[in-house]
Amino acid sequence: MLSLVSMVLIAPLCVAAGENASEQEEKKINPKEIIFEHLGDGYGWEVPFNHHYRIPLPVIVRDYEGHWHLFSSSRIQHGQEYEGFMLGGKDSQWHGKVVGLRPVNVDGQTMMEEYRPWDISITKNVMALFITVILVIWMVLRVAAWYKKSMYKAPRRFTGAVEALIEFMYNGVIKPTLGDRAHRFGPYLLTVFFFILIMNLMGLIVIFPGGANLTGNIAVTMVLALITFFITNICGTKHYWKEIFWPDVPWWLKVPIPIMPAIELFGVFTKPAALTIRLFANMLGGHIVVIVLTLLIFILGAFGAAVTGFTTVVSVCFSLFMLLLDVLVSFIQAYVFTMLSALFIALGTEKGEHGHGAEAHPAGHTK
Amino acid sequence: MELFTPDFGLVFWMFVAFAILFFVLAKWGWPAIMKMIEGRADLIDKGVEYAQNAKEQLDHAREEANKYIEEARKQQAEMLRDADKMKTQIIEEARVAASKEAQKVMDAAKVSIEQERKEAELRFRDEVSSFALDIATKVVRNQMSDEKAQTKLVNSLLDELENKN
Repeated sequence: MLSLVSMVLIAPLCVAAGENASEQEEKKINPKEIIFEHLGDGYGWEVPFNHHYRIPLPVIVRDYEGHWHLFSSSRIQHGQEYEGFMLGGKDSQWHGKVVGLRPVNVDGQTMMEEYRPWDISITKNVMALFITVILVIWMVLRVAAWYKKSMYKAPRRFTGAVEALIEFMYNGVIKPTLGDRAHRFGPYLLTVFFFILIMNLMGLIVIFPGGANLTGNIAVTMVLALITFFITNICGTKHYWKEIFWPDVPWWLKVPIPIMPAIELFGVFTKPAALTIRLFANMLGGHIVVIVLTLLIFILGAFGAAVTGFTTVVSVCFSLFMLLLDVLVSFIQAYVFTMLSALFIALGTEKGEHGHGAEAHPAGHTK
Repeated sequence: MELFTPDFGLVFWMFVAFAILFFVLAKWGWPAIMKMIEGRADLIDKGVEYAQNAKEQLDHAREEANKYIEEARKQQAEMLRDADKMKTQIIEEARVAASKEAQKVMDAAKVSIEQERKEAELRFRDEVSSFALDIATKVVRNQMSDEKAQTKLVNSLLDELENKN
């Protein structure tokens, strides 16, 4: 997204200068490739106004012989081979990923074959993840330190804003949903909320510390959803499992063909899947729309200066609107993820004292 | 689709990063913040309660004070009235005493005047009697200068004595 912005800034100049046909041919853009490059991960981090240079990040891979390799991403950034590793080419199965070469025997001949090594590189997304973690820790510990220092004073400015969010989530969502179990799961849910919120917002910042499409990456949302899934099922009460395997429905729905238990069991797994996809798709969608709107300028640039100028104005206005909307979406998605996590955990840890109303009670807090 | 296949490296780091984040925040972040927020909420509740009590007490105290003021005013009025009464009483008493005293003085004066008068009367009578005697002596002397008259008187006196007996 970063280089796109620089392209937007440069574009009118280029158009005004009057590009000739050959230059246009040379710079012919491939929207799909650009979109996927910006939505995906990378071994370096883009900088503004430079398409060539990337901030180098460490690559950590384990080769087929079990040796670990650690080197800078700048060593393979432009297609070079280093210690038997390189970036997968356009026709490779692992395009854009670090691949290794290993010898294999094909028809008695030794040939080099591409393989995907164990890859725990600090990629752009991982780096963004670390930055977010540090930011969240700094933010929360600063607030905590402020409380220790100034005890019962009224919080203002930054502390006040963070506290407003904490209060909003804790007293507005977590407590009503979890009741007396709020103190047990509150720390996890608050951590999730702030983590997602900061990740979402960092993704909207175009320059260096931000710009990584982190929550629009299915690995990130999946891990978060899985943690909620494990908490729900590990802390699950007898009542929760009874609701799954022996729900209060007419007996012929359970015996001999366990229709309801099957549906309930299916529901156990659809919950984390829904969590994963919801956050992932929402954030990805926002990023895609902004990128496509920006790319529209270059796609329509082929029709001449007037069209480009007009499209630029329209696209920038729409992108701005979308980015502002994404700020709202960032908050809403963090809120929804936390709320649903709280709800699932509440359902899993329900003691069942309220009988049939147990399930309906926490559900009453959702929209 | 690359977008829909989770990358192992990212999953791994995500777990690690989230575990660290959760550990740090659950240990040093949230408990402290929650405790403080709860503590402050309690403090505010207590403060409000205290303020309400204080206000109630203040209202009460004001009422009490008003009552005392009212009472004091009443007492003052009473005292003023008493003082007034006492004043008139004292004046009255003084007047009575004065009049009594005056009466006494007047009585004493009257008595002394009476005495004086009596004394004067007595003296006057004495004087009058002495004058009368003098006059009588002189008159008798004049009348008794001749023998006839003297005899006549003696005779009359003797007659008188005879008559009496």
